Amino acid sequence: MMLAAFATTVFDSQRTFRELLQAMARPAAPRALPILPPSPASIAPAAMAVLLTLCDATTSVWLQQPQEDAVEHLRFHAGLRLAERPQDADFALITDPASMPSLTSFAHGDIRYPDRSASLIIQVAAFGSSPCVQGEVGRGSLALASTQDCTTPPQPSPVNKGGSSRAMHFAGPGIRETEILAIDRLPSDFWQQRAAMSVQLPLGVDLFFVAAQQVVALPRTTRLLES
Amino acid sequence: MDTPPNLARAQWMSLLAQADPAELVAAMDGFAPPADTAWLRPAQTGLYMLRGRVGGTGPQFNFGEITVTRCSVQAAGHIGHAWVRGSNARHAELAALADALLQDDAQRVSVQRQVIEPLRHSLDQHRDKASRKAAASKVEFFTVVRGE
Repeated sequence: MMLAAFATTVFDSQRTFRELLQAMARPAAPRALPILPPSPASIAPAAMAVLLTLCDATTSVWLQQPQEDAVEHLRFHAGLRLAERPQDADFALITDPASMPSLTSFAHGDIRYPDRSASLIIQVAAFGSSPCVQGEVGRGSLALASTQDCTTPPQPSPVNKGGSSRAMHFAGPGIRETEILAIDRLPSDFWQQRAAMSVQLPLGVDLFFVAAQQVVALPRTTRLLES
Repeated sequence: MDTPPNLARAQWMSLLAQADPAELVAAMDGFAPPADTAWLRPAQTGLYMLRGRVGGTGPQFNFGEITVTRCSVQAAGHIGHAWVRGSNARHAELAALADALLQDDAQRVSVQRQVIEPLRHSLDQHRDKASRKAAASKVEFFTVVRGE
């Protein structure tokens, strides 16, 4: 049967929107979403919070795994349109990153309207990062208090450098020096695809990763550093 | 969509939306929300744009905005919806709950008898009274033709 969505639609989506703005302003730093609405089994509550906040009848959404209960839920609560093909979508929900289509298959915008591009919401298992706290890097440091407005990056510390091989260093607008983050279970060539797209800035796609209660944004301007 | 069950549902939804809120509250007094009630979409008030056509055939024009309160509830295994004029949240909630209960075979008869029939009767009376009042003030116009 159907589930409810945000309890107080306006205030809950405004609070979530504020967090998403902040996540975009400070790329690669995990932030905690304030409200996790009920959601069907195939969609994580955090991803549902993002969809309910950003999508309405004027946006089209492509679902990687369009299961009936999820489609019904989104249509009822957000009134959104579903896109048949990834290239037609304003937003895409990736529920199984390992089998996701190539980033080039989503809308990049055109040179006069770079905003006509897709934003991807990607459900991942966990982030390993320590943007504010020195020490543990890599998988399993999910419990980090990510709401702290810590904009001071770690002085790339020896601990971080010697951490998990999955930890990656990011730089770009909104990041003072570098930001460290690990994202699990992405396709092996995901970062090559993203790097290949960076040559066509300002065109590109923006990424939101969600895991548990956290969200991390990687706008198209954020660069992955070779480490 | 005009199959008999949908038509019947459309009729009771229309009746519930047009009912007097105080009468609906009184009629629904005996029907507490079942234990499994979930408010899928709590009552929320907004504006709808009414559109019209002159004579039903002209081009569409925006007639004006109307305040509408809508609500959706899941009760007794069914989903009830309501859209009512005005900003009375309680009216929308009860109308949605009645819509859900009316879809439930076990409760349809008692809701029909205790809620729908009295409301229909009172709405008919109200309409009858209004049309009598209007009929009493009817004016016959006639034109005097000027003879040459």
